[in-house]
Amino acid sequence: MRSLSALKFLPVILLFSACIGDDIIEDLVPERLIITNTVDTLGIDDTFQFLARFTNNVGQTENRDLDWSSSNTNILTIDADGLATGVTAGEVFVYAEVTTDEQTIIDSVQVVVDMETSEPTTQERSGVIQTTSSYALGGDFIVKEDGNDLLIEVASNYVASTALPGLYVYLTNNPSTTSGALEIGAVEVFNGAHVYRIPNVALFDYDYLLYFCKPFNVKVGDGQIE
Amino acid sequence: MVSHIRLFFLILIVSFPLSEISAGGGWPQPKGRGFFKLSQWWLVADQHYTDRGLIDPNLTNGIFISSLYAEYGFTDRLTGVLYFPFLSRSYFNNTISGTTGEVLTPGEAINTIGDTDLSIKYGIFTKGPVVLSATLTLGLPVGEDSGGSDNQLQTGDGEFNQLLQLDAGTGFKVGNLSAYANIYAGYNNRSEGFSDEIRYGVEAGVNLFDDRITAIVRLFGVESTQNGSLDATTSTGTSIFANNAEHFTFAPEIAYNINDRWGVSAGAGFALSGRLIYAAPSYNFGVFFKL
Repeated sequence: MRSLSALKFLPVILLFSACIGDDIIEDLVPERLIITNTVDTLGIDDTFQFLARFTNNVGQTENRDLDWSSSNTNILTIDADGLATGVTAGEVFVYAEVTTDEQTIIDSVQVVVDMETSEPTTQERSGVIQTTSSYALGGDFIVKEDGNDLLIEVASNYVASTALPGLYVYLTNNPSTTSGALEIGAVEVFNGAHVYRIPNVALFDYDYLLYFCKPFNVKVGDGQIE
Repeated sequence: MVSHIRLFFLILIVSFPLSEISAGGGWPQPKGRGFFKLSQWWLVADQHYTDRGLIDPNLTNGIFISSLYAEYGFTDRLTGVLYFPFLSRSYFNNTISGTTGEVLTPGEAINTIGDTDLSIKYGIFTKGPVVLSATLTLGLPVGEDSGGSDNQLQTGDGEFNQLLQLDAGTGFKVGNLSAYANIYAGYNNRSEGFSDEIRYGVEAGVNLFDDRITAIVRLFGVESTQNGSLDATTSTGTSIFANNAEHFTFAPEIAYNINDRWGVSAGAGFALSGRLIYAAPSYNFGVFFKL
């Protein structure tokens, strides 16, 4: 019976040996620099403040010292803070550059300098939602700004599995994890066109849509915002 | 012979937690007799069966259940059964960045009592070559169905269910060895928008080494009737508690009878197929006592 007395403690021992461990995920993404605003036409002697966003190799936004330059300073000049001034009529490229431990990254936009500065045109980005799992998920989408809101317009060819419980959609710069992502909300439409409106998010703040099943803690799919 | 057959079932009935209990097969307890078992059951899974029956990876989740099983014969035909998971632990692992080594999402755990089953079994035919019994099981949702920061940790499904099951069993000889076979089928009526379930299974066991060792194999399954109203937007359960979860499982088990009253058993369960349920083996260990 002594052996049985010892055995009765086994369940308790097993229970508390169920310690939380570590799961390592591969979350490396390319470092990225992107000019987040532009103007089609900049008037001579007018100014425009360019902005850019740098995300590191895990998709986190970092403040970095950028080098701004113009492809032709006779047409457009730009200072170290990205403030551009139109000089003479013509077409020019504006460059933003950052040097990391790994590489030098450059992004550019084309600007026309002419008599008057044009009104900002509505920009939009697009992408394709695709499954990264065995669950059905797919469809096209467009992202654009509406005032201070971001609109994600998912197209009519969208479909998602209704069987998967707890499916959520996020905006993120790292499609491997919800860490640092902006949770849009639970997926409530599983077929057809629909729209998400996200307040106080700019067009170039995020580069991916991420679909994630919370209960299973697993990525279901994503869509890169091109 | 009958006592041997009963022993087989007394061992196997507590090999699986939750509602996988077959409640002793076709044999009810004699009046005043009982069976009690303290068990540990656990499952750790880093993959699961999808809605299409394929296997996808997931963050490692674990479920550990310490339970008490009790069966007592009120009469020779009427047996009361209790399955009480007095300590259930559900957890998921930390998520670590493979790039930076930082903790992206800290793991979480909950420790609660689990969903409890109360059953009453009636022996319809208790004599003859084939015995038949009917069992009504009430699944009490006393576990946690939405624990953790994102409500995804569960030690229960949050719904009250009623399982009506028929068991038919027979004993026979294999050479000089005592053996049995049992088949069961049941309908599990679930509430809170969960789909109902059809449950079925077959099992067989044989006594070895002068009845010291009992070897058991079983095949059992759960099929969803897909009639629930709980849709994906409101359902948060997965693991072993999901709505519309299905599986077909092979489960061997072995028991060692220390003496006439005490014994130990160990077993495992392997889901051969499934939908919306973890795809990993489960294990169990228990100490049982016969009254």
